[in-house]
Amino acid sequence: MSPTRITSLLSVGALALASLVSPARAEETVKVGVLHSLSGTMAISETSLRDVLLFTFDEINAKGGVLGKKIEPVVVDGASNWPLFAEKAKQLLEQDKVAVTFGCWTSVSRKSVLPVYEKNNGLLFYPVQYEGEEESKNVAYTAEAVNQQATPAVDYLLAQGVKKFYLLGSDYVYPQTTNLVLLEYLLSKGVPIENIGGGFRKDASGKIISAGKYTPFGHTDYQQIVAEIKQFSAGGGAAVVSTLNGDTNVPFFKEYAASGLTAESCPVVSFSISEDEFRGLPADKLVGQLGCWTYFQSIKSPANKKFVADFQAWLGKSTVPGIVKDGRVTCSPMVLSYDGVYLWKACVEKAGSFDVDKVREAWKSGVSFDGPGGKVTTQPNMHLTKNVFIGETKSDGQFKILKSFDNVYGEPWLKGKFKK
Amino acid sequence: MATSEKYAPPAPPSDTVAALLVFTVLAVLIMPTLDVFGLIDHFTLNLWGKYLCYALLALSVNLLWGGTGLLSLGQGLFFALGGYMHGMYLMRMIGDQGQYHKPIPDFLVFLGWTELPGFWKPFEHFSFAMLMVFLLPGLVAGIFGWLAFRSRIKGVYFSILTQALTYAGALIFFRNNTLMGGNNGFTDFKSELGFSLREPATQRGLFIATAVVLIGVVIFLRWLEGTKFGLVQRAIRDGENRTLFSGYATPTFKLFLFVLAAFIAAVGGALYVPQVGIINPSDMTPEKSLEAIVWVAVGGRGTLLGPILGAVFVNLLKSYATRAIPDLWLILLGGLFLLVVLFLPGGLVSLPEKLRGLWQKFRSTPNPAPAA
Amino acid sequence: MRKTFIILSAFVAGFVAAFAETPQALIARAAVAKSEQAQGAILTELMGNADESILPLFDAWRKDRLFLYENPGKPTVAVLLEGAKDAQGAQTAVDVATGKALAVRLAADDLNAAAHSANLRRIMKAILDLTDLSSANPAKKLGAIAAIGQGQQIEKLPALEKRLAVETDPQAIKALREALALVRLRSPDAATKLAALKELESLQSLASTDFLKALIKDAEAAKDEKLLAAARSALQAVERHRTVVDFGGTMFRSLSLGSILIIVALGLAITFGLMGVINMAHGEMIAIGAYTTYVVQNLFANGLALSPFGFSVSIPGLHATGWWRESYFLFALPLSFLVAAGAGILLERGVIRFLYRRPLESLLATWGVSLLLQQLLRLTFGANNVQVGSPSFLSGNWIVGDVLLGWNRVFVIGFATLIVVGVWLVLTRTSVGLLIRSVTQNRTMAACMGVRTERVNMLTFALGSGLAGLAGAFLSQIGNVGPSLGQSYVVDSFMVVVVGGVGDLVGTVISGLGIGAFDQFTQQYSPAVAGALANVPFVGGALQNLAQDSAVFGKILVLCVIILFLQWRPSGLFAARSRSLD
Repeated sequence: MSPTRITSLLSVGALALASLVSPARAEETVKVGVLHSLSGTMAISETSLRDVLLFTFDEINAKGGVLGKKIEPVVVDGASNWPLFAEKAKQLLEQDKVAVTFGCWTSVSRKSVLPVYEKNNGLLFYPVQYEGEEESKNVAYTAEAVNQQATPAVDYLLAQGVKKFYLLGSDYVYPQTTNLVLLEYLLSKGVPIENIGGGFRKDASGKIISAGKYTPFGHTDYQQIVAEIKQFSAGGGAAVVSTLNGDTNVPFFKEYAASGLTAESCPVVSFSISEDEFRGLPADKLVGQLGCWTYFQSIKSPANKKFVADFQAWLGKSTVPGIVKDGRVTCSPMVLSYDGVYLWKACVEKAGSFDVDKVREAWKSGVSFDGPGGKVTTQPNMHLTKNVFIGETKSDGQFKILKSFDNVYGEPWLKGKFKK
Repeated sequence: MATSEKYAPPAPPSDTVAALLVFTVLAVLIMPTLDVFGLIDHFTLNLWGKYLCYALLALSVNLLWGGTGLLSLGQGLFFALGGYMHGMYLMRMIGDQGQYHKPIPDFLVFLGWTELPGFWKPFEHFSFAMLMVFLLPGLVAGIFGWLAFRSRIKGVYFSILTQALTYAGALIFFRNNTLMGGNNGFTDFKSELGFSLREPATQRGLFIATAVVLIGVVIFLRWLEGTKFGLVQRAIRDGENRTLFSGYATPTFKLFLFVLAAFIAAVGGALYVPQVGIINPSDMTPEKSLEAIVWVAVGGRGTLLGPILGAVFVNLLKSYATRAIPDLWLILLGGLFLLVVLFLPGGLVSLPEKLRGLWQKFRSTPNPAPAA
Repeated sequence: MRKTFIILSAFVAGFVAAFAETPQALIARAAVAKSEQAQGAILTELMGNADESILPLFDAWRKDRLFLYENPGKPTVAVLLEGAKDAQGAQTAVDVATGKALAVRLAADDLNAAAHSANLRRIMKAILDLTDLSSANPAKKLGAIAAIGQGQQIEKLPALEKRLAVETDPQAIKALREALALVRLRSPDAATKLAALKELESLQSLASTDFLKALIKDAEAAKDEKLLAAARSALQAVERHRTVVDFGGTMFRSLSLGSILIIVALGLAITFGLMGVINMAHGEMIAIGAYTTYVVQNLFANGLALSPFGFSVSIPGLHATGWWRESYFLFALPLSFLVAAGAGILLERGVIRFLYRRPLESLLATWGVSLLLQQLLRLTFGANNVQVGSPSFLSGNWIVGDVLLGWNRVFVIGFATLIVVGVWLVLTRTSVGLLIRSVTQNRTMAACMGVRTERVNMLTFALGSGLAGLAGAFLSQIGNVGPSLGQSYVVDSFMVVVVGGVGDLVGTVISGLGIGAFDQFTQQYSPAVAGALANVPFVGGALQNLAQDSAVFGKILVLCVIILFLQWRPSGLFAARSRSLD
C-alpha cells in the first residue's frame, strides 16, 4: 500500500479513536445540560435563554448550589438544526450524563429530542409558549399553554368590542394548532365564520383542517396580505391575531404601518413578540398593539425588580464570548427558564436526590416558586399554573400591563373542548 | 462559459481495494463488535452510521461534480426525498403508539384529520416505501434533468437552478398543508420491519447495512469508471463540446448520471432516517446541499475516497466545534472551505502528495533560491 | 314681564357659563378620577363640545406625559411638565385645569402618569373625531369621518351634515357622503335607507361591504324585496370596484417588488456578466449596506456600543434632532454604496482574483466568504435583528382611487429607475463604462489593446457590490436587518440574473419586473383559481392544495415557469453574443 493511503487511513483511524474518548467526571458538581441554538435562525431568540440560564446557575452556585453540589453547565449548540439537536441530546444524556437539561425553543426541536429523553429516561425543561397537544413524563413544560396565552387575549379583544378576527401566522405547528383552537373558541363565543379572516382549507369531507393565512419562515413580502387585511378591516371592528414568528414580524409591521393601519383602526395581538424580539422591531410604529404572556418586564414587583437588576449586573461582568451587554431586556421565556431552574432545585431538594423518577414525583406532588412573574406552581400533568398578563406595547419596547389573570391552570389538551 | 478544470486520473486500483478492505473490516466487524461489548458508546456507533450516510450523499455530489463536471447545489433534495419516503413507512409503523394513540400519525391528528389521506395508505408496505425511495427522487431528477440538459443549460446556470429546485422543495415540504409533517417533519419512530428502533441491536444492524451499501456503491462506481460509459463521462467533464461533436448524445449521458446520483443520494437519505430518528424540511434547504459540497471539496473531488473522507472529517469537526467553540464554528467552516478551494483544490486526499512534493523540493535544494 | 325673564335667563346663563367648566378643567377632573368608568363618564361630557385646544392634552395623556401631582392634604392635581430640566431633573409644572404654573417644580420620575385604558382612548378618539371633523389636518379629518360613519350612530348625523355644508376638500366631501350614507342605513325610515343605498352604490364605497352584507341578511329575514334588490345592486357595484382596486393594487405591488428585485440583482448581473463569477457573498454585501444604514442612523442619534470578540467599542452619537436627524438616510445611501464597494474590492483582491478561470470554484469560494461574513456580522452586531427606523418622509401613503401607494415603495420604484438609468449612463457614456464593456465582450482582446483588465475587474466588482449595498439600505426600510438578511434575497437575485441574461441591463430590468409581476399576480389571484385547478389531470388535487397557500405558491410557480422559460432561451432573455463556443 502506498504511503499516501496509509497516512489517510491512519488519520481517519486516529480521528475515530479521538472521538471515542469521553471526558472524566468531577464529583463535587452536578452536570446540567443547556441545549439551545447559538447559531442559525433561532440564535436570535435562544441565546437569551442561554444567558439567563448561566446567570441562574451562577446565582444558585453563589448560594451553595443544589444539595451541596455546584451546578456545572454543559452548553451545546443545536445550531437551529433539528437532527443536530437530537444528536446533542444523546450526547448530553449518554456521554455527559447530565441530571437535567434546560433547552429547546421550537416545537420541532423539542419533538426531535423527545424520543431521546424518553428512551434514556432523562428530564427536559421546556420554557417556550407552545401549541400543547403533548404531555410526556420526561418533559417539564414551564411553557405557556394555549389557554395561558391565546384564549385570554381573544377574550380581552371580545370584551373591547372586536367583531372580526384575521388569523395570520407562520407556517408551523404552533400557529396552525393555535388557530384551530381559536377558531373553535371564537365560534363557540358566537362569532360568525365569515368574520374570521385569512382563509380556510378543508379536507375531502368538508371539515376545516387549517384556518388563517400562513407564510413561510423568512418571508419578506407582506404587501398583498396587508392589503387584504386593510380590506378586511375597512368596515371597522376588526383585529389581527398574529402568530408570526420573530423574524417575519418586521416586514409585516413595516408594511402594516405604511398602509395606514393603526392600533386604533385594527389592533394586532401577537403571541410571539416579547420584549426580546421588540429590540429588532420599529417600536415607534407598534405603539398600542397587544401581547399576552405570563410575564412582562414592566411588572412592578420587588421580586421582578431584583431579578432584572441582578441580571443586568451579571451581564455587565460576564465573559461569555459574543454576549450582548447593551440594550438587554427580560421576557417571558427567559423568566420561565429561570423559574424552571429554581423549580428543579426545589424538586431535587424535596426528593433529596437527582434521580429523574424521584424528581418527577416531587414535581407531580406540587412545588411552588415565587418568580419574577409571580407564583408558579407545578401540576401533575407536567405543566405549570401561572399568572397571565395582557399588555400593550409602548414606544420604548416595553409593555404596559392592562389586565392580569391569576393562577391560570395550564391545560395542553384543548382541541375539541370548545363547543357552541 | 469557460471549460471545466482537469483533474488527475482516478487513483490506481490497488490502493482503493486495500482501503476498501480495511474499511470493511473496521466497519462491518470491528466497530459493531466493540459496541456489543460496550467498549464504544451506542451513541458513537450511531453517529458513525450518520457519517456514513453523509458519505453516500457526498459520493452522489462527487459523481456529478468530480466525475461529470456538473456542480449540483441541490443533491440534498434527493437525500431528503429518499429519507421522507422511508420516513412515511416508519410513521405508519408507529401505529397507535403515538401521543394521541390514534391509528394515524400525530401531526395529522392535530391538523384535524380523522382518517389517513389517500396517498399515505400504500406506505404501510415496506416494499412500496423502498420502491418510492427510488421512484420519487428519480422522477424529480428525471424531469428536471431532461428539461435542463435538453436545453443545454450549463455551468453556473445549472448550479443555480439546482439550488432553486431544492429551495422550492423545501418551501413545499415546510407547508403543513402538504401533509408531510410540515416544519416538524417526521419523528418519534418506533419500529422498522418489526424490530424496535430503540434497541441497540437494530441500530447495529442499520450501521452494518449502511456500511455494506456504501461499500457496494463504491465498488459499483469504481466499476463504472472502468467501463466505456465512465470514459464518456470523463470526456464530458473534460470537454463537453468535443464529446458532443464526436457523436455522443451528451444530454442523455448527463441525464442518466443525474438520475443515478439522485438514487445514490436517496439511498443515503433512506438509511439516515432510522438512525437519526428525524427527517425534516431543513434537510432540503440550500444550506444543507452546500454543506455536502464542502465535504467533497475538502475531501478531494474526482476521487472515490475523497468524498467519504471529507464527509467524515468535516462532520467530526462540526460535532466537536459546535460544542467547544460554538460561536466560531461558521468562521472555521468558511475559512476551511476557502483555504481548500484556493490552495488545495485536490482536497485532503491530495495533501500527502503535496506535502511530499514540498518535502522533496526542500530536500533537493540545499541552498534554497530566493522565492520566484 | 318677558323682558325680565329674558334678562334673568341671560344672567342665569351667564352665571352658569361663568362656572361652566372649560374643556381643560374637565380633562383635569377626568385625569384624577379613580376608576376607568368615572373617567369615561366625565370625558363623555366633552363629546361635541370640544375644540382643537384639547388636542395637546389628549396627546400628552396618551403618551403618559400627563402627570398626577399628589400634594398631601390637598386634592390631586393634573399637571403638565414644561420647560428645561434643572439639575435635579425638575421642570415647571402647569396645572391643566387653570393653565397656570404651580409654585413647586416637579420631576417626571417622581410622578405617576394619569392612567388610560384602551376603552378610554376609544372615548378620547370619539371626542377627537367629532373635533377633527373641522381639523386642518386632512388625514385626521378623513380618519374621523370614517370612524363616525362606521359607528352608525344616528345622533352624529347633524354634526356630519353640518360639516358637509362647509367642506371644500373633494376627498373629504366624498368621505362625508359615504359616512352619512352608512349612518343613514340605520335609519328606521325605508325611503332614507333606499336613498342611502343608492348613494353607496354611486360612491362604490369599499368600506360599506360589511354593512351591506349585514343589511342583505336583515332584508332577507324581513322579506323586504325592494330593500334587498337595492342592497344587492349596491353590493355588486362595490364588488366591481373592488376588482378594479385589487388589480391596480397588484400592478403597483408588482412594480415595487420588481424594483426591489432589480436593485438587488443589478450588481450581481454586472459582476457575473463581466467576470463569469457568481458571487454567493452578494447577499452579505446587501447585509453590509443595511448595517451601514443602521450605524449611520445611530450615529445621528445616540451613538452605538458594540462588543465584537469581547472588545467593547463605543461610538458617540451626534444627538441630532428634527430635519437634521431625519436626513440620516440621505447620508446612509452613499455610505452604504462605498462601504459595500470597499468590501467588494477586498473580496476581489483577496479571493476572486485567483479564480477567474474557474467559475464553479469562485461560486464556492464566495460561499465560504459568505459564511465568514455572516458570522462576523453576528459576532459584531449580535445575532439579533437591529432596529432601523424610517425617516418621516418615507412613512405614509397616497391613496389614488382607493389604491394604496406607500411612500417608501414609491421611493424604491423611483430610486430603482434612477439607479438603472445611472448605471446605464455609466456603462455607455463614460470611459470606465467603455472599458468594462470591452472586457466583458472579449477579455483577452481588451488586454491586448492595452486595457488594464485587473483594474477593470476591481472597479466592476466594486460597482456590483456597491449596488448591493444600496439595495441593502433600501431593504432596511422594508424588512428586517439581521446577519442572515442576505440569505433571504440570494435565490431571488440569482433567478433574476438567470432569466435576464447577462448581455444587457434591459434583460435584468425586464426579468425583475416580470418575476415581480408574476409573483404578485399569483399571490392575489391564486385562491380564486384554486378551485379550477383541481380539474387538471393527475396533479389537480396537489395543485389545488398548493394554490391555497398563495404566498408559497407564487414562489414555486415562478421557479417552474423559469425552468420552462429556459427551455426556450437557455442563456436568458438577453445573452451576451460572442463567437466563442463556451
